[in-house]
Order: sequence, then C-alpha cells, then structure tokens
Amino acid sequence: MRSLTLTRLVGIAPLLIFVAMLAYIGFNAPNFFTVTTADLVLKQSIPVVVVSLGLAIVVMAGGDDIVAGGIDLSIPSTAALAASITALLVTNMNQPLIVGLLAALAAALAIGLVNALLVTRINMTPLLATLASSVAIVGIASVVTSSRRINVTDPAIVFIRDGCILGISADVVLVAILVFVAFHLIHRTRWGMNMQAVGGSRDAAEISGIPVKRFLFSSFVLAALAGWLAAPFVLARGSGVSPGVEENLLIEMVLATFLGAAFSPRRVVTLWGAVLGAILVAAVSIGFKSMGVNVFWTGLIKGSLILIVVALAAVSSRTRT
Amino acid sequence: MTSTNTTARTGMLDTFLRYGFLIVFAGFFALFTVVNPIFVTPGNILNIVEGSAVLLILALGMTLVVSMGGIDLSVGIALDFGAAFAVVAMKNYGIDWSTAVLIGIAGGTLVGGLNAILVVGLNVSPFLATLGTFFIGSSVQRIFTNGGGPISYRKMPEEFRNLALGDVFGIPSEVIIALVLLAIYFVVLQRSIFGRRAHAIGMQTSAALVAGIKVKLYVALGFVLASGTCAIGGIIAAANMRMFTPLAGFSYLMDAIAAVFIGAAINARGRPNVMGTVVGVLFLAMVTNGLNLMGLDFNTKDALSGLILVGALALAVSQQKRG
Repeated sequence: MRSLTLTRLVGIAPLLIFVAMLAYIGFNAPNFFTVTTADLVLKQSIPVVVVSLGLAIVVMAGGDDIVAGGIDLSIPSTAALAASITALLVTNMNQPLIVGLLAALAAALAIGLVNALLVTRINMTPLLATLASSVAIVGIASVVTSSRRINVTDPAIVFIRDGCILGISADVVLVAILVFVAFHLIHRTRWGMNMQAVGGSRDAAEISGIPVKRFLFSSFVLAALAGWLAAPFVLARGSGVSPGVEENLLIEMVLATFLGAAFSPRRVVTLWGAVLGAILVAAVSIGFKSMGVNVFWTGLIKGSLILIVVALAAVSSRTRT
Repeated sequence: MTSTNTTARTGMLDTFLRYGFLIVFAGFFALFTVVNPIFVTPGNILNIVEGSAVLLILALGMTLVVSMGGIDLSVGIALDFGAAFAVVAMKNYGIDWSTAVLIGIAGGTLVGGLNAILVVGLNVSPFLATLGTFFIGSSVQRIFTNGGGPISYRKMPEEFRNLALGDVFGIPSEVIIALVLLAIYFVVLQRSIFGRRAHAIGMQTSAALVAGIKVKLYVALGFVLASGTCAIGGIIAAANMRMFTPLAGFSYLMDAIAAVFIGAAINARGRPNVMGTVVGVLFLAMVTNGLNLMGLDFNTKDALSGLILVGALALAVSQQKRG
C-alpha cells in the first residue's frame, strides 16, 4: 500500500516540480499570479503549442523511439517558410492575406508530401529525413525573404496580435479552438484511434489490417499543416517575419512535446501533454524574467529543470517495469 | 519480348540505385569542374580537404555514438568547450600550450561525461539527454562570455597556432591530425573487439547484453570519447581563428549527422562506418566548395545545398534498401 502511494508520487513528480517552481516564482515575483501574466504566458506559448500539436501527432503515429520512431523536426522551418511566403506576398507584392496564406499552404503541403514520401517510400528514418528537409526549407525561406526582415501590417494579423474575442486575447481563443479540434480528431474519431494503434505497436496494427504506411504518411502531412497553421501566429507575434525565427521554435517544440510525455502517467507523448509542456515552459521563462533573473541564466535553469524532469520520468518508468 | 525488356530495365535501375550515390558524387564533381575549372586544381582540392578536417573530426565522434545506436546533438558544445578551455588556460592562466591542449580535451569530455551520466545512469534517451546538454552548454557559454562575445588571443604561442596553420612536408597539420584520428577510429571501430562490441550494441542492445557485453560501460565510454574527439576539432578551430567563438560548434551539427548517415546508407549492411563517414564528409565539403565557386548568391547557395542534401540522402538510403 505504501509503495503504491510512493509509485504514484513518483509518477506525478515531474508535474510537482513545475508546480513547486511556479509557487516559488509566485512568492518572489510581484504580480505573477495575475490575469495579465496568465494572458502573457498563454500568448508567449502560442506558436510553440501549434507546432507541438503537429509533432505530438507524428510521434503518436510513429512510436516514441526518437531515432527509429516518428519525429518531425521540419515543422518549425515549415512555419518559418509559410510565414515568409505570406509576408512576401502580402507586404512586397500587395496581395490580400488569403492569397498569401493559400500559397503558403501549397508550400506546406508540398513539404509534408516530401517528408511523407522520404519516410514511407524510401524508408529514411524520420529523424534524418526531417532534419535534412528542414535545412533545405530554411534555405528556401532565406531565398524567399533574401534573409531580410519583412513587416506585416495586415489588419487580420494585427487583430490576432492585439484583438480580443469575448474579452480573451484573440490568438489564445483561436489556438484553444485548434487544440480542441486536434484533440477531437485524435481521440474521438476512428481515424485517430487507428493512428494511435499504429504508434502503439506497428506490427499489431498491421496484423489487425490497419494500413500502417497510410497513417504514417498522413501524420507527416498533418505535421506540415500544423507548421502552416503556426505561420499567422508567428507573423502576429513578430509583426512580420525575421530570419532565424525557426531556431528557437524548434528547441521549444521538442522540449514541450517530450516534457509533455514526462507529465503523462504512462510517459507517452500526448496532445494535452504537449500543450501543457509549452505553457509551463513559457510560464517558467516569464516567471524568471519577472524575478529579474539574468536572461543568460534562464536558459541554464530551464535546461537543467527539463533534464531533471525527463530523467525523473525515465527513472520512474524504469522502476515500474 | 516485353518481359526481357522489363528485366533489362529493372537491371539498369538496380545498377543505378546501387551505385547511385557514387554516380551523383561523380556527377557533381563533373558539374563543378565544367562550371569553374578552378574546382579541380590541386590547390582547390587541398582547400576542400583542409576545410573538411574539423567536420571530419566531429563526424568521427558522431560515428562512434551512432554505431552504438545513440545520437549526440551536443558535439558542437564539446567543440566549443575544447576551444574555450584551451584558449582560456593559455590566455588567463599562462599555461603552456601542450598542457592547454590537454585541458581543452578534458573540457570537452565534461560534455560527454554529462551525457554518459544522463543516458547510462539515469536512462534518459540519447536524443533528449544530448539536447539537454546542448541547451545547458549553450547557456553556460553565454554566461561565461557575458552574452556570446568571442574571446580572442592574438599572442597565441606559435606552436599552438601551428596545430591549424603549420604543415609537415606541405600537408597542413590539421589534415594530418584528422588523418591520425581517422586511422585510430578506423582501427578501433572497424577492426577491434571494442568496435565489434560497439556495433553489436547498436544493432541489438538486448542481445549484446545477453552476450555479456558491458553495455553501460561501452555507451558511457562512447559518449566520453566522442566528446574528447570533438574537443580536438575545437582546439584546431581556435588555433585557426586565434580565438574562441561561443556557439560556433552548432554549425557543424547537421553536417556531422548527415555525413554519418550518408556513410551508413552507402554501406552494404546499412551500418554507420568510418570510411562511409569520410565519403559523406568529402561529399558535403565538395558541394559547399563547388557552390561557392559557382559564385551564387548566399541565399540561393543555402537553399541549393539543402536540397542537394535531401536528394543525396534519399538516394543513398534508397540504394541501401535495394543493394
């Protein structure tokens, strides 16, 4: 009985560490637990949440072995390219926003298709395929923008940045809707269930007659779509697009998604975990900033915190088996 | 009639795919030569070889880790630490250059040590562990240099500078160092019991465990040796530039991974291997150099080399499946 409580305690320990960290920040930073800060945290986490949804879907479909299973490192660069194409068309060529977004969608779908083909047809490991394609995508994005910053002042983008829907920040509302749609797709449809079965055990899924490759294929297309969906938020946050926007997004996406796995009781990547991971990482960053911690130290503290959490999750999943 | 036709065609397709990567290698070589004849001059070939020395050193370390079924995203940090420890030891503590080299290597192995503790001791997956080390290592460099400014050391001892700029019988010393490391890695990884066991761990860890291989010790050693090797690359880079540039190692990461996987893909059994890595490194260095000589605009060059990387990897992997 006692050991059962202990196991359960170790199970939620990663989450407890974060809660303790936030409590510590709350005691030391004035006004941390306020609606304004909460809004700031959610706003900050937004592009990461959107791309993490894509990564979570790929990992859920491909299995969570990072080298051999599913992973897509090209989502942030897809977001950067989509944002670049949109910015180029809207600002430099005076096209309506919808034209820019549609062109970006075409590019994102092409990327998803290429990734999917590399993985399912050529049998490249997803890590390698998407790492290589992300290098190419970043290169193409720098051709699109000539490595220059492009401002976007389209009213719709400004609305996403500054607007409110029912008193809540517009971008937060839009992303919340997106999260619910993704959740419904993965957890409430037959398609989503089958996809999770593929990720759980590819062999078992194959034997049950699930077309495994087709699900892997669509997971990469969905991931590229997530990159495209992140583009308007990237544009809104930066009031345009700057070179190098994908780098930070990549690190934060991977951290959020796999941190999310540490929060889940079975230590698997989930949509909620990824969203929670992104929000908590943003909360801790903003918390340290408001405590006046030197920004160079924030990276160190964040990195160590995340390693502790991931290590703890690894240790506790080992003791269970 | 039709059937013979099809067999002939599949035969040709198979041949193309089997030697596809080498054909592409030769094709690019020819293309660059035609576009700019300077490409094949001995001076430029030497440039390519010399320019790829540091990348080769990093890729060797990566080959070791990938052979054991892991991956190391912190090779760039080990490179930075090697450079930082050596430069700071000489500049701020007046330590003699040869000791400084050893201190640099030791500094690099700190990174591998942390990776080993995380992966072997705490059972974190290599990808996440080395990503975490990368995060922490980058942050440490920013704190140490107060935001990322380089630490230059103009009055570096001549002997230390010669690690990069000297030559023996006309062969640049960085090439010699890379070749020595290459020979050591080839013997250790492809011709020794240690190498056999390392590959066994990479192919099937559980089987290696049953066979009595001390998997944990080997994996820990793999991370430490790899980071020590990368530190040597950092020391050469520091000697070359007469300074330590924070976060400079990151730019090598993608190329090192690509070189190792190109090498694995052109191997008949699909295993990462030392000579394959050399081919991968030379291919990447050739493409960079050739595109430079074509006088393309900076951005176009980036995009093209990325697309070539995707194409080359795809071809190399598809050929491995058939061959």
